[in-house]
Amino acid sequence: MRATVPAVLALLLAATVAAAGDDALLPPSGFAGGWTRDGQAKVFPASSLYNHIDGGAEIFLELGFEEATVQRYARAADEIVVECYRMRDAEAAQAIYLDKCGAETPSPGFGERHTAGRYQLLFVRDRYFVIVNNPPGTPAVAPVLVEFARAIAGRLAPGGNVRTFDVLPRAGIVPGSLRLIRGSVGLQEIATLGDGDILRLGGTLTAAAARYTGGATGDRTLVVVVYPSEAEAAAAFRHLADHLDPEIRLLTATERRLVFASYDGTFGVAARTGTRLELTLRLKAPLAPE
Amino acid sequence: MDRSLNLDRREFVKAASACSAVVSGLVLGVPAFGEQQERPAEVETNILDFMKVPKGKFALPGPFPGRVVKVTDPRSLAGDAVDAKVVRGMLERGLRKLTGDSMKKSFARLFTPDDVVGLKVNPVGAPLICTKPELVEAVIGWLVGGGIPKGNIVIWDRFDYMLKAAGFTAGRFPGVRIEGLQTMDEQGNAWRDAGGRHVSAANFDTEAYYFAKGVLGKGVRGYKDDESYLNQHVFAGEYSYFGKLVTRKLTKIVNLAAYKNTGNGISMATKNLGFGSICNTGRLHAPLFFRVNTEVLAAPWVRDKLVLNITDGLRGQYEDGPDKNEKFVYPNHALYLATDPFALDMVCHRELVAKRKAMGIAVNEHPKYTEYLFYGEKLGLGVATPEKITLVRA
Repeated sequence: MRATVPAVLALLLAATVAAAGDDALLPPSGFAGGWTRDGQAKVFPASSLYNHIDGGAEIFLELGFEEATVQRYARAADEIVVECYRMRDAEAAQAIYLDKCGAETPSPGFGERHTAGRYQLLFVRDRYFVIVNNPPGTPAVAPVLVEFARAIAGRLAPGGNVRTFDVLPRAGIVPGSLRLIRGSVGLQEIATLGDGDILRLGGTLTAAAARYTGGATGDRTLVVVVYPSEAEAAAAFRHLADHLDPEIRLLTATERRLVFASYDGTFGVAARTGTRLELTLRLKAPLAPE
Repeated sequence: MDRSLNLDRREFVKAASACSAVVSGLVLGVPAFGEQQERPAEVETNILDFMKVPKGKFALPGPFPGRVVKVTDPRSLAGDAVDAKVVRGMLERGLRKLTGDSMKKSFARLFTPDDVVGLKVNPVGAPLICTKPELVEAVIGWLVGGGIPKGNIVIWDRFDYMLKAAGFTAGRFPGVRIEGLQTMDEQGNAWRDAGGRHVSAANFDTEAYYFAKGVLGKGVRGYKDDESYLNQHVFAGEYSYFGKLVTRKLTKIVNLAAYKNTGNGISMATKNLGFGSICNTGRLHAPLFFRVNTEVLAAPWVRDKLVLNITDGLRGQYEDGPDKNEKFVYPNHALYLATDPFALDMVCHRELVAKRKAMGIAVNEHPKYTEYLFYGEKLGLGVATPEKITLVRA
């Protein structure tokens, strides 16, 4: 009996930790001039993210979502709601941030990559994507969002550089157009090339995308995936070729290059070189054959 | 006059195929290199059963097919605050333009004093981007002025807790009924009653359903297990039951959607009712998504009761909808009115696409994002062809 007590305690502790989610990241009651935690933090694992996000959870899940911890704070009639989304890795956190930040409007005095408004402050650090909400948009509360963000960021590990964008050429990128994609939901935001996971990213491989302006080929969107092996790149290319959306008209096809006319009157090219698959989309005219 | 549409199965499949969605899991053989595949077969639903039922007197698209009125007033928003008086004026101008009649006659065209009227709001994204209580108050004022008792007016959405969060409370709307079709437990298992059934199961009409063959609420991505699915969706089989509120209590519906995007499409009039009238919707997103907007509106319980659609575009959200994101919310100062929800959504879709482009978004304009509206036209529920739509500004 005595031996089972520590085991039971350990189990209870584990259960408490599990229920608390990332509670340790959250400022305590009394923070920033008297903000009090209003009830316990709610924890949403991937299995119940739809209970928290009604419309829009799919992109989190596709990118690699682990758990959300949501805590409401109150001070007199005012309220702040903190949502901490723990993603599988820093790349996933960066991806979801880029998807939601729009044209960034940073607040002076907060060093993390972020965008701040009166209702919401969004920031990313390490594998966390965090939203600090001022639900009614109370002007006097807006400056406090930064204080909350700073406190939470201070409890997070430093984030490493996300290198996925290195596969993209830098010249001509349209500001704010960088995206990271791990499946069909993310790709659909840019183009519909076919049903399902047409690039065979599987939620683990990451494509980098950006819009470009100018240059010899003119305005275009570039999507680049580097696969672990040439065989996987070849299989993905083949899958794309065989399952192109019926609204896309194939103009030429070889073992390594597809040229097509898209449903919106633009043109596209899919080209494979070794482990690299490169899609050039939204071209005003088809590229000349290689 | 029987205004039902006589589609045989072949014609239906053709129409539904035009409204194609992502359908997976069918092996069609291995094509030669670069040989594009045909679309997989469509999911079989009970749309033909809906279409066999003769249309009622008030059936879609109502007395004004293809007619959409946009009322704009920059005074409708002062910062965050909605000016209720201005909104009341906008509603009146919109109704007069839509019907060509006074408020009283407009009422008489669409309602009788003994109607039980459901006001379907969209509370998702409150308070930034949702149906504004001020608009709902204005509509209630019009209905009460026409002789409908407050107790016969029901503000309604799928989930009860969202209504409360968006300000649709008894305190704000005294005498008006406020009903969620179901409750949902954000955490835990309080959603089960002593008998093990979902506490909201009795709210749904098992004799009135949207059927999608082989599409089950089991193992749906994003849910830990079928238990967590049931919590949110009440049932999990091939049937999405309509709320009893819709099938048995309401005699008329006024659809009060918000003005926002969902991905490359919109989440406005047809989606507000398409996904807001039934349960067990999580299963439908991946294989059917926009098609649900059309087919649920074709069901007699909606089609024959939905007499007016007003999309609340006082604010709009052009990206990252349907939930709120401040970065993409903007003052739009407009209400959009129509008896025809398909024409209304087409107008709003095109307008929102233009806004997205103006804001620098490279919009994916794949036809699938509007095919469901043309499908509605094919079914005789409305008008989607832009050249056939009349947009009146007021």
